[in-house]
Amino acid sequence: MARQDRRVGYGLPLLLAIGLHLAILVASVLRFPDEEVAPPSTSIVQATLVSTETTTDQAQRAEEARARADARQAEEEEEAARAEQEAARQAEEVEEEAARQAEAEAEAQRQAEAEAREAARREAEEEAARRAAKAEEQAREREAQAERRRQAEAEAERIRQAEAEAERKREAEAEAERQRQAEAEAERQRQADAEAERKREAERKREAEAEAERKRQAEAEAERKRQAEAEAERKRQAEEAARRAAEAASQGLDRAIEGESDNVANARQATEAANSFITLVRRAVEQAWVIPPNVPAGAAAQVTVRLGPSGELFAASIGQSSGDGAFDRSAIQAVEAAAPFAELRQLPTAVQRDYRQFNLRFRPGDIR
Amino acid sequence: MNDSLSIPHLIMNASGVVQAVMLILMIGSLLSWVVIFQRTFVMRRARKAHRRFEDRFWSGVDLNELYRETPAEQETQGAEHVFRSGFREFNRLMAKTRSPQAILEGVQRSMRVAWSREEDRLNLHLVFLATVASASPYIGLFGTVWGIMGSFQSLSLAQQATLATVAPWIAEALIATAMGLFAAIPAVIFYNRLSAESGRLLGKYEDFAEEFHSILHRNLQGRTDAGAD
Repeated sequence: MARQDRRVGYGLPLLLAIGLHLAILVASVLRFPDEEVAPPSTSIVQATLVSTETTTDQAQRAEEARARADARQAEEEEEAARAEQEAARQAEEVEEEAARQAEAEAEAQRQAEAEAREAARREAEEEAARRAAKAEEQAREREAQAERRRQAEAEAERIRQAEAEAERKREAEAEAERQRQAEAEAERQRQADAEAERKREAERKREAEAEAERKRQAEAEAERKRQAEAEAERKRQAEEAARRAAEAASQGLDRAIEGESDNVANARQATEAANSFITLVRRAVEQAWVIPPNVPAGAAAQVTVRLGPSGELFAASIGQSSGDGAFDRSAIQAVEAAAPFAELRQLPTAVQRDYRQFNLRFRPGDIR
Repeated sequence: MNDSLSIPHLIMNASGVVQAVMLILMIGSLLSWVVIFQRTFVMRRARKAHRRFEDRFWSGVDLNELYRETPAEQETQGAEHVFRSGFREFNRLMAKTRSPQAILEGVQRSMRVAWSREEDRLNLHLVFLATVASASPYIGLFGTVWGIMGSFQSLSLAQQATLATVAPWIAEALIATAMGLFAAIPAVIFYNRLSAESGRLLGKYEDFAEEFHSILHRNLQGRTDAGAD
């Protein structure tokens, strides 16, 4: 019956307890090393790039230039509008005066116009000079040439007018003289009925003279009008040229600024891509690195790496030795084992060249 | 570097006092588990035996027959032990005195003794479990404090205190506390469970003793009435 083995011994419980403890111990021993391996080692290889420079400074400068150019453009537009208004007003005045007054006034008007033109040109020149020296130079040269040509033309015109006037006067005087002589002769010859005849003759002559005078005046008027129109045309052309020069200059500046900011954006993108590239390289090298035993605590070696265009390793050499030959060799072997770095191809082509050479710094970290 | 923080490595590299503490805790844990297993088996067996005896007792069998079923020299346990000691005393006293009062008193005393022995048997080693449960956290804490003291002493000698220099010391110091808790937690749980179990069994024995006492009382009452007639 069951009563025979009523006593419960201690053998079985002891075995069970020992077995339990051993199982727990074995579980802890087997599990913990695996867990310890899992966390990755901290960055023990540091990579530094040999040849890239930061572009942030350039970017700042470009931004400033752009702001300045914007301000200047607004100012310049305002001034141009003002000059145009001024010119329009002056042209109106000039036409009125031309209709009313004679050549002297035309002269004065031309002077005033010249002054206005001069002022406008100076302003334009100043602005152009500030932004683009070259464009401004050309504009000024063109301006000067146009001005010289215009002055020469004006001079020739004036001379021609004066000559024509003198000719006309001389002719009129000669005719009057001739008529007077003829009259005197006719008087002397025919004294009786010459009076009425002479009167009629004088009357006719006077009419003819008035006619001639009127004709001359009309001609002068037309001439003046033509001149004024030509003047206005020339002025408009000059303004146009000045504006074109200014626009060309400001566009050139804008283009330069845009190109620069594009460059800055490209450089930034390239820097980001390159950072990721460097990180990848560093990780690959870290994983491939077998640290030799008995490394002195502060040992650090710098390896200069040169890559081919598709990321293959051209050369890995010690840039700065740690003083421990085995350590240096292990660093170079790590780079060789981690090569090729195919990620280089994913970089923008413009910066690939920069990242084909870089330094890797190997430090074992604080291993106890 | 990797295996310097594994538990066996830490235990092996710990200072002597901490190692001693961990050894004590290890032994305590081992013994407490031995007690746990042994007591669990004992309780389960006692429970089964009690159920079997009660079925037999209440099956209408003659008490003399039941008493004679087991040889006298064989040790019995639980309710059967109580019954046998009570019935033996009853038979002995029946031959010597005619006073039912004296007989019942003697039977009751003998049954109380048997019950007390049963209580002693069931609660054996449970006190050890309670001791381990309450003391081992303190022992482990002592080991931790001692280990941290040692780590700070060695830290004062170091030039610069990085986490790497302190961490192994702290880790090996904390292992002592972990082991203390490892020993204490099962001990607490099983102490509560086993003592509740034994209390329940002893309650059942007591109930049985009372019932048996009332049966004997009824028999004596009938006999005295018959004797008086």
